[in-house]
Amino acid sequence: MTLKGQIFAREDLTIDGEVEGTVECHEHRLTIGPNARVQASLKAREIVIHGSIQGNVEAADKIDIKKEAKLVGDIKTSRIVIEDGAYFKGSIDISKSAVPPRPAPAGANQTANSPAPVAAVAASAPSVTK
Amino acid sequence: MFGSHKTSHSDPAHTPSASTRKSSGLDQVFSSFPPNESQSILDMSGASQANISFITGLGHRLSSDDVIGTMEQCFGTDFLAGQQAAANAQRFLDQTLRFHDDSFDVALVWDALQFLAPPLIDQVIGELLRVVKPGGLMLVFFNADEHASRIPVYNYRIQDQKNLMQVSRSALQRSQFFPNRTVERLFEKAASLKFFLTRDSLREVIVRR
Repeated sequence: MTLKGQIFAREDLTIDGEVEGTVECHEHRLTIGPNARVQASLKAREIVIHGSIQGNVEAADKIDIKKEAKLVGDIKTSRIVIEDGAYFKGSIDISKSAVPPRPAPAGANQTANSPAPVAAVAASAPSVTK
Repeated sequence: MFGSHKTSHSDPAHTPSASTRKSSGLDQVFSSFPPNESQSILDMSGASQANISFITGLGHRLSSDDVIGTMEQCFGTDFLAGQQAAANAQRFLDQTLRFHDDSFDVALVWDALQFLAPPLIDQVIGELLRVVKPGGLMLVFFNADEHASRIPVYNYRIQDQKNLMQVSRSALQRSQFFPNRTVERLFEKAASLKFFLTRDSLREVIVRR
């Protein structure tokens, strides 16, 4: 199954499947899991990459590229951590702008530290293809 | 300039290792930058924390292109045999140096060119001269041992402006020995070449477009 469309998340998000389009997770952490194959532009406060991404990646705070990751695209962030073995092709733009403050502690029904599945946070109806 | 070199470059059996060496070429490249001016630098050794931290810490913009990694994907384990197939060579060219003209002030080519045979090496050098700005620099390494057939393939990690860490990733057959005359011919369209003699097995060359 491939999820196509624009994804807007208001909490930490983990993607571990196929996604095409754009993913925005402002002020939260976006995790790209080891099984993920993403063809999208990504924006978040922090992005952790274990899987495969083709697209530009922008994180206000930090981008963490793990050793099994594959990223083809441009990076814009304040800080980058990359493990030996990770594959990266693209440009790196380090912006020294101030890191936006973390959001206030979440309310009763939100678990800011618990990654939510992709399908639960789509703001625009994605087209799903099998 | 005379760095320590722990690995045996003529040992056909690859033994992963890391060693540090002084690099006059690297020092001279970074010393040539105008003060307080951000440079656009291409690192062809594949992304590493050391190089990213060093280069971006100085305020420069870094692009990464793991050319050896692309060779592995396109040519398999035998680079020389693999690149003989026209389809493999074209696939390699389609994935390598896909940047606009005059994109970079500096290209850190390292030792990748040693594993390319004609005509592919000429095509890649043509692309390098296209993506580096006029007056820009390329830092290129060649193994200086005339008798070695299999040579180490390294990832180069910048420790500081004068020192590199060489982390061996494999040992491969190079396409040919590259004496100075051969290097001059390969870069005949460049504005100038500067050779650095070193005590270890690496010859460093700064090419100015």
